[in-house]
Amino acid sequence: MKDGGNMREVVVLGVGIHPFGRFLDKSLSDLAKVAIWDALKDSNVEAKDVQIAYLGNSIGGLITGQEGIRAQTILGPCGFGGIPMVNVENACASASTAFRGVWLEIASGLYDVGLAVGAEKMFLEDRARTISALISVSQIELSKLGMQFVGEAAMRCKRYMRRYGGTKEDLALVAVKNSYNGSLNPYAYHRKAYTLEEILNSPLIAEPLHLYMTSTIADGAAAAILCSKDIAKKYASKLPIGVAACVLKSGRYRESDPLDTDVPSTITLAANEAYEQAGMEPKDIDVAEVHDAMSPIELVSCEDLGFCKKGEGIRFLKEGRTKITGEIPINTSGGLCSRGHPVGATGIAQIAEIVWQLRGEAGPRQVVHANVGMCEDSGGVLVGGDNAAFTNIILKR
Amino acid sequence: MERETQKKRFPILPGIIHEAISPSDKSYLIGSKCSACGRTFFPKQSVCWVCMRDDTIQEIPLSTKGRIDTFTVVHVAPVGFKAPYIQAFVDLPEGPRIFSLITGCEPSENALKTGTEVELVIDKITEDEKGNDLIGYKFRPVGK
Repeated sequence: MKDGGNMREVVVLGVGIHPFGRFLDKSLSDLAKVAIWDALKDSNVEAKDVQIAYLGNSIGGLITGQEGIRAQTILGPCGFGGIPMVNVENACASASTAFRGVWLEIASGLYDVGLAVGAEKMFLEDRARTISALISVSQIELSKLGMQFVGEAAMRCKRYMRRYGGTKEDLALVAVKNSYNGSLNPYAYHRKAYTLEEILNSPLIAEPLHLYMTSTIADGAAAAILCSKDIAKKYASKLPIGVAACVLKSGRYRESDPLDTDVPSTITLAANEAYEQAGMEPKDIDVAEVHDAMSPIELVSCEDLGFCKKGEGIRFLKEGRTKITGEIPINTSGGLCSRGHPVGATGIAQIAEIVWQLRGEAGPRQVVHANVGMCEDSGGVLVGGDNAAFTNIILKR
Repeated sequence: MERETQKKRFPILPGIIHEAISPSDKSYLIGSKCSACGRTFFPKQSVCWVCMRDDTIQEIPLSTKGRIDTFTVVHVAPVGFKAPYIQAFVDLPEGPRIFSLITGCEPSENALKTGTEVELVIDKITEDEKGNDLIGYKFRPVGK
């Protein structure tokens, strides 16, 4: 998409999160209900005013056995029926893809008020079942041959260090920053600030990644209520947050690895499209949530999104420029490693964090002068090494 | 012994390997090459990803030797695998960078480096739920 054409402006009226964590006795509906009804209250919208709903969920079919009609069976007990519902699976970008669906329904003029939900249930008594389900998020040609996804990210980290230098200690500093941020987030699963020593002393998963540098399985849900900008005044008691850009891309064949060469990554291609849609540049972004399924990947994403130059991610981090008090705070929520990563819920949890930041409601995590925020997701792994699904969403006050 | 004889061998994925059927035959990975742009893909494709044409692509045997791009020792194994083991990406001379487990050396960070020459082996990857062997490919350091 080159520009918005005749699309209407869309705003986020409200957001809600069911805290991420371990909730063995809660169903997907139980988790979604809390997030949805918190978002309704936050947006001052009545449930009966919602005209369309998209549900993002990744592995619920393998976890619960309900492979089909997940939206209808999860949202039904939350009070919704009759309205159109769309099931969305896009690995770690499931929720952000659901958000994009609702944005498009409203931007197109078809509906005025919509609900985007991401929900995931990962904790079961049988942990092996969860791990087997997660393996399906990578292309099966890789998983069957023994690819372990932390190891895959570990190899990306090694390529990064091979080209740009840096040590394991440098990479671990991302988790120091993000675990501090997460310690301030009441919705985060792991609310503990780790020291560098604690991170490097946590169990080694695959060199150079230790346990505290990896995202963990979690249960959780997040929801957002969107509406067209022209009717926002009818509802909003709080500041509506505009959707300045909403981009979805898929992984592709790459001539060479972007970590070895100067070819742009798919994250960069998605970001460039988002900047163009929003009429913005990287310097316009005040705060960002980036997809750090393994925390050092945040360094690569910072570069790919244009926040710093290629190879300067470690220096940028060490200078404190991505801290809550820095010029471009990254993952103020704690990111995926601290908040926890209920795969199909993460994308809208990022949206919620940015909405709170732009409204000035982020409490001890609040950044100063936040007018524009970005949410970036990349999920799944394809043969050839690219991720499968990419989203980039820019929100503005 | 009886149980051994009942055990079967199945390919873990269809169409990725040609396994030698006689001593004069040679095992190889099956790729495909586009005659228009010259690019080679693995696993084999029926459409060239670059030209987006389906009339220029042909199956080819891939080289049985390649070089390590990068690797890591995995200490937490997925179901059906036993840690520690080495996973790697191997660069083939035809171009593809392919995922593979590495065998024939200690699962140690010192066992390999970028550029180490490795060769194809047809090997058991894991077992199915009935205990049958699932056969795929791995690479091992040359000369080990």
